[in-house]
Amino acid sequence: MVTGATCFLPRADLDRLFAALRADDRTILGPAVSDGAVIYDEVASPAELPTGWESDTEPGSYRLRETGSSRAFDYVLPVTSWKRYTHPAFVPLTRARRDGSQVEVEAVLDPPPRLAFVGVRACEIAALDIQERAMRAGPIGDADHAGRRDAALVVAMECAAATSTCFCTSMGTGPEVRQGADLIASELDEGFVIRSGSATGAAMLAGLDLEPADPAQVERAAAQVAAVRTRIGDPVAVEGLPERLRAALDSPRWEQVAERCLACANCTLVCPTCFCTSVGVASDLDGQEATTERHWDSCFSLGFGRVAGDANFRPKVKDRYRQWLTHKFSTWFDQFGSSGCVGCGRCVAWCPVGIDVREELAAIAPVEGPRGPIPWPPAPDAGHAPAALTVVAPARHVTTSVVAVTQETANTATLRLATSDAALLAARPGQFVMVELPAFAAPPISISRIRPDGLDLTIRSAGPATAAIVALGPGAQVALRGPLGRGWPLESALGHDVVIVAGGVGLAPLRPVIEAVLADRARYGAVRLYLGARTPADRLFTAEMNALAGRADLEVAEIVDRAGPEWLGQVGIVTHLFDHATWNGDRVTAFVCGPERMMQATAAALTGRGVDPAAIWLTLERNMACGVGTCGHCQLGPFFVCRDGPVFSIAELGTAFGREGL
Amino acid sequence: MEPQQLIMPGRRSPRADAPNRPRIGIVKFASCDGCQLTLLDLEDELLAVAERVDLVEFAEATSRRSMGPFDVLFVEGSISTAEQVEEIVRLRAVSHRLITIGACATAGGIQAIRNWFELDEVRDTVYPGPTYVESLAQARPVSDFVAVDGELRGCPISPAQLREFLVSMVTGRRAQLPDEAVCLECKRRGVVCVAVADGVPCLGPVTRTGCGAICPAYGRGCYGCFGPRESANTTSLASWFSDSRSAPDVARLFSGFTAWSEPFRATIDARGGPPGQADPREESHDA
Repeated sequence: MVTGATCFLPRADLDRLFAALRADDRTILGPAVSDGAVIYDEVASPAELPTGWESDTEPGSYRLRETGSSRAFDYVLPVTSWKRYTHPAFVPLTRARRDGSQVEVEAVLDPPPRLAFVGVRACEIAALDIQERAMRAGPIGDADHAGRRDAALVVAMECAAATSTCFCTSMGTGPEVRQGADLIASELDEGFVIRSGSATGAAMLAGLDLEPADPAQVERAAAQVAAVRTRIGDPVAVEGLPERLRAALDSPRWEQVAERCLACANCTLVCPTCFCTSVGVASDLDGQEATTERHWDSCFSLGFGRVAGDANFRPKVKDRYRQWLTHKFSTWFDQFGSSGCVGCGRCVAWCPVGIDVREELAAIAPVEGPRGPIPWPPAPDAGHAPAALTVVAPARHVTTSVVAVTQETANTATLRLATSDAALLAARPGQFVMVELPAFAAPPISISRIRPDGLDLTIRSAGPATAAIVALGPGAQVALRGPLGRGWPLESALGHDVVIVAGGVGLAPLRPVIEAVLADRARYGAVRLYLGARTPADRLFTAEMNALAGRADLEVAEIVDRAGPEWLGQVGIVTHLFDHATWNGDRVTAFVCGPERMMQATAAALTGRGVDPAAIWLTLERNMACGVGTCGHCQLGPFFVCRDGPVFSIAELGTAFGREGL
Repeated sequence: MEPQQLIMPGRRSPRADAPNRPRIGIVKFASCDGCQLTLLDLEDELLAVAERVDLVEFAEATSRRSMGPFDVLFVEGSISTAEQVEEIVRLRAVSHRLITIGACATAGGIQAIRNWFELDEVRDTVYPGPTYVESLAQARPVSDFVAVDGELRGCPISPAQLREFLVSMVTGRRAQLPDEAVCLECKRRGVVCVAVADGVPCLGPVTRTGCGAICPAYGRGCYGCFGPRESANTTSLASWFSDSRSAPDVARLFSGFTAWSEPFRATIDARGGPPGQADPREESHDA
């Protein structure tokens, strides 16, 4: 019986529970007083618990108060959340070595510690589940997180007190603990009523050999938590909240809250579900021995939205506040099938200027406010149920060798890489790889040719890492992680006319499309290739494209923004190439890649010609870093570009495409 | 000056026997020498660093002197005299990359607090015999006079950031010198927020990280020695402080090692300048 009888654990016997947890080879983590606050830390014995401490919180304020009570769990919530242990602030990722031309990158995956979490609140159990779904969604989950979460034993403690910042009742996560814990306890003056919530918990409880709880004790525990519910009330109107927020993307309130918001990131770092990270690189002086480590990061920092060339997707604080709030309460549903907020109120209490998310929600997305139109349809794989958690494995870093380097333009080169790795060779057109050179940050690079014996990568030197990679010569090695992302849906174009529009280096991820279509030419209708470049010197794969232009079974047209005296072709933007075309758009599937503004113009021109938005596919550039949807960098509305894209249709993106600050 | 990369990206690092080790200089203006001494704090790696660069000017460590040219010149200290203005202009002309180090060079330093006062008043207050004290009216950051290619913040600078900068220079990768708030470092380290839990005024939310959140880790508020972070919203933070503090008290909080850098300076200005302008000694003197 998993949930057996409710027992009574006398206060004096709490150390027996601690002993049982230790006998199970677990380190015990629980609440302890430190520096004027309750934090989670290692607790050796019940004597280290915050007995006789309560807390008062207000927006921007937290104060501990000594009451002299004998109770140890009346402090409500610590500043730290359990993510410090399931998703630590620093996690080593790789060890790499570069010796001459030789490169080796290996994943670091330390065995998870066996921990017991003591004193877990109902809202925190919800948070553990929500973060687990985020870290294990998509085809590849996070192995470190999964290991830690699976190895943790949860001893829940129902709340007997609440503070002014609590709102679990509104978010539907508490204060009652119903499931998700191995042991579920409630504290009374004389001790604890405790029951099991899992087979592990049941075995542990049986080992303690406790007396059954008195029905009056069970009743008192229930009354206690019922009083907490009453005290909290229902401070946030959640009905229709995701839809209300979607309709409020242009609310003037974002600007107003940004005047107060420090963008200091405290709210996201104390949040028990926020999971965003960045990767740091460390190396010896010569860059021969290098390690990477991920650390907590936040969408509130300017650097989080930064991409190559110092562009930034969220330059303004109002963009960043909107990103955070709409993700927590709206796009989280699209991505993971639940709210990203559990109502613990940490973001309210620990905001240094006391911004209250409950107030902001009411002002930005009022209950009587509009609920539509929905700017984007739900993500294709929304609503991951816990049962669908991925089986996770350590990341694979495959060493490949440079066979040849072709200089395409002044700053762009194609690396011909040799590999026998089956997964890499099975890459689909439109997928990308992370290119790892020890001591450099790994850039995401689209595959520009899939060969039977390797991959071509066409790389524009846009920063130190890409510059170092294009400077590699034949015989040098480089490690790849991938293939990643969703490729071009070539099957959707079967029987259709195909229009391919490329701008500059955007031709690179489209070349596998061209090659796949030509390899299977009979199964497609007319094929038209429109190529744009800044200047004639910026044209990519010129010999190949010239050869294609000579073929009778496809149409190739080229244009440049700025011509030189030697250029006899067309001048202008790429859409000019089909402004006066006679083809009909209703049988067209289009594949587009180039600078974001070029893609916007192209999408508009194609739609204007009658091409179905669901048949216009483009590939987005974002600051993809983890490649598997767990670092948060490349989020665009309800999507992680790395995992859900980088190829999207215009219909999928809806108004998320081209919207400033998203 | 032609922007030029010191080491071509991807090229293997130069060693002592390589003829093209970068020529490095370290010089100082109005400052305490603490930042340049940070190089000596690299201890374990100091000799290895010395093998990879050609240290041609570093008065704290070597008697070699050089008038330039420099591949990289580290500059400590604020510009406080007319001679220093001439010298920094000369040094800029002989340096491919000029990197300012520390609060004095990047923000004017603690001595820039005098920028709010009459020079004569300050001079008479500080020196018993001010006859031979020659000074500009203001102590100012190097970037007020010449173009600067990069900066290391702090009072003093962080050895870890200096090492990171040197590694990036030698390997050709981008230095990871975050411009975010100190708060991120506090939270990653598990430091309890002194502002929220104790009501201690803390500049962490508007100050650039890099120190490792030392002050909050010891229970005191950040006093901003790394200067303003990106998106520093001093208006909001100062307004929050003002709920329980007088305007001079709030101005005092921002009047530290980087007081002269915006937006700290504007925040101080909005509250009538740094406290101390009406020095009691001055008042009695006038009377």
